[in-house]
Amino acid sequence: MTALKPSSRTQRLLIGAALWLLAAPAHAVLGGSSASIVADRLHMAANERASQGPTFTIHALTLANGAVTREFARRDGVVFAVTWSGPSRPDLRQLLGGYFEAVQTASAPTGVRHLRRPLAISHGGMLLHAGGHAGHFRGAAYLPALAPAGFSVADLQS
Amino acid sequence: MKRAALLGRLSVLLALTLLAGCGGGGGGSSGSSSSGGTTTPVALTNFTTITVDAGPSVLAQGPNGYIEDNVAYVTITLCAPGSTTNCQTIDHVQLDTGSVGLRVFQSVLNATLLSALPNQTDTSSNPVGECYGFVDSYMFGSVRTADFSIGGEKVSSMPFQVAGDDGAFATVPSLCSSGSGTDLNSVVSLGANGLLGIGATTTDCGSYCTVAGGYGTAIYYDCPSSGCSTIIGRASAENAPYQQLINPIIGMPVDNNGSVISLPAAPAAGETSLTGTLYFGIGTQTNNTLGSAKVLTTTNSSSVNGAGFVSAVYNGQTLPDSYIDSGSSLYLFVDTTITPCTGDYMGYYCPASPLALSPTIQGTNGASASAAFTLYNAATALATNNSVTPGLGANPDVLNILNGYPNSFDFGLPFYFGRNVYTAIEGRVAGGATGPYVAF
Repeated sequence: MTALKPSSRTQRLLIGAALWLLAAPAHAVLGGSSASIVADRLHMAANERASQGPTFTIHALTLANGAVTREFARRDGVVFAVTWSGPSRPDLRQLLGGYFEAVQTASAPTGVRHLRRPLAISHGGMLLHAGGHAGHFRGAAYLPALAPAGFSVADLQS
Repeated sequence: MKRAALLGRLSVLLALTLLAGCGGGGGGSSGSSSSGGTTTPVALTNFTTITVDAGPSVLAQGPNGYIEDNVAYVTITLCAPGSTTNCQTIDHVQLDTGSVGLRVFQSVLNATLLSALPNQTDTSSNPVGECYGFVDSYMFGSVRTADFSIGGEKVSSMPFQVAGDDGAFATVPSLCSSGSGTDLNSVVSLGANGLLGIGATTTDCGSYCTVAGGYGTAIYYDCPSSGCSTIIGRASAENAPYQQLINPIIGMPVDNNGSVISLPAAPAAGETSLTGTLYFGIGTQTNNTLGSAKVLTTTNSSSVNGAGFVSAVYNGQTLPDSYIDSGSSLYLFVDTTITPCTGDYMGYYCPASPLALSPTIQGTNGASASAAFTLYNAATALATNNSVTPGLGANPDVLNILNGYPNSFDFGLPFYFGRNVYTAIEGRVAGGATGPYVAF
């Protein structure tokens, strides 16, 4: 579990990456606009179904093979959370953009004991968990600072 | 260093013993003991030794050397299809009921054998590649076939993954690495020479991988010499010729409905190694009968969560996404009332004194059984050189507020210590009940 704690050097690098992301979201859906949801849908060749929360919209993208990604957007279109569930993980490089490297760092084994384990990351303003096991994976990434009033973490489980 | 050298010698001894056993046993695949109406004793060969130890000696080498913890290893033999001489025995292959399929690192295979292991090919006559995901990592490589044997069991022309292969497979496709996690491309990165997945399903991907296209870390690729990029569908055939990687057990002639992992109890203080037995089949021989074990049916492939899940009942809460997994090295569950470790062991549980916990496990058939265990202080256990550490637990939620694992209790290898744990494969009748189920 020491791998859950990035070294201070990588932490600085990651914060830098996160700032860069906020400045230029590119494809990244997390922290990006709803236009990036369209990009994701095309990238994944997915069917999209939108449902309304009190202060946000949930865009559920379902792939031909049944995997589901849900993207949570504010009324102004800013995507503040994504969740995934299915037999394989989604393209997290696309979904997380600059935050992806934080996941990579946290996944890397360090120390005298190696453990394969689910991840729980709090980094650069993003909270992420990624769990499951071979054949079924799920997880969520969330930017609390961008979440609208009326949203609670429990909505990610819905 | 002394430790590594000693373990190396032990491994060689173990491999020699197994080879001798194979030669003396007189033909692994006869499997004829199950249906005989006469009482002529037949030497059973449907089993092999399990060792829980520090892992391949290469792990301990160098400045970043480490020892494995709570990993169950077995020894396998691979032969070129149809050959009885171009073979290699491979020790320290991790035994994993949480995945399906055999995966071996290319670096482990000798050149003569490797060159004689044919690639599986797709409808474009190109080699097939595979990206297989784990909770925090993935393995990528070619799909080849070999004659596989373990104990006295043999599966001819079985597809398996050569992880970290070269040529067209040298570059991991971005659609594989984009699922995140560590690229398990070496013995040191996995902590084993390979992985033997004998979990709940008959193939490693099922209907999901019969669909071409899509995105993400799915799973089978068309691999022309220019490299792997296109995702292809592969049939989930349960009889030869196979396409997807199979659960090696379904290819066995008789003992093909599941397995039994039998490990002795470990002392509270832990120990450096532990030896037990893996039996193939359930209720197919005199050594793999269910006995008094309670059958707990697990979810199947058409379940929302996929196959192999049970419900744990812990502190009055029902946790429906729970599972028993020999490939997890500890108990993973959320209990904020237990003292967490700090510093290097953050995330683990560090109770001041041994803590008796009493989860029960419930099957989808409504049956339940006690999974009680004693939780020990992880910082104390992991500060030793022990590779067998009972009662090791961690909280996967410790570092953020998402509460991502409210419904999950992972019973890892320590759960197996002191138990016989049966894993029956989906759709297979085993000991009078139909899989998928676990029993203990």
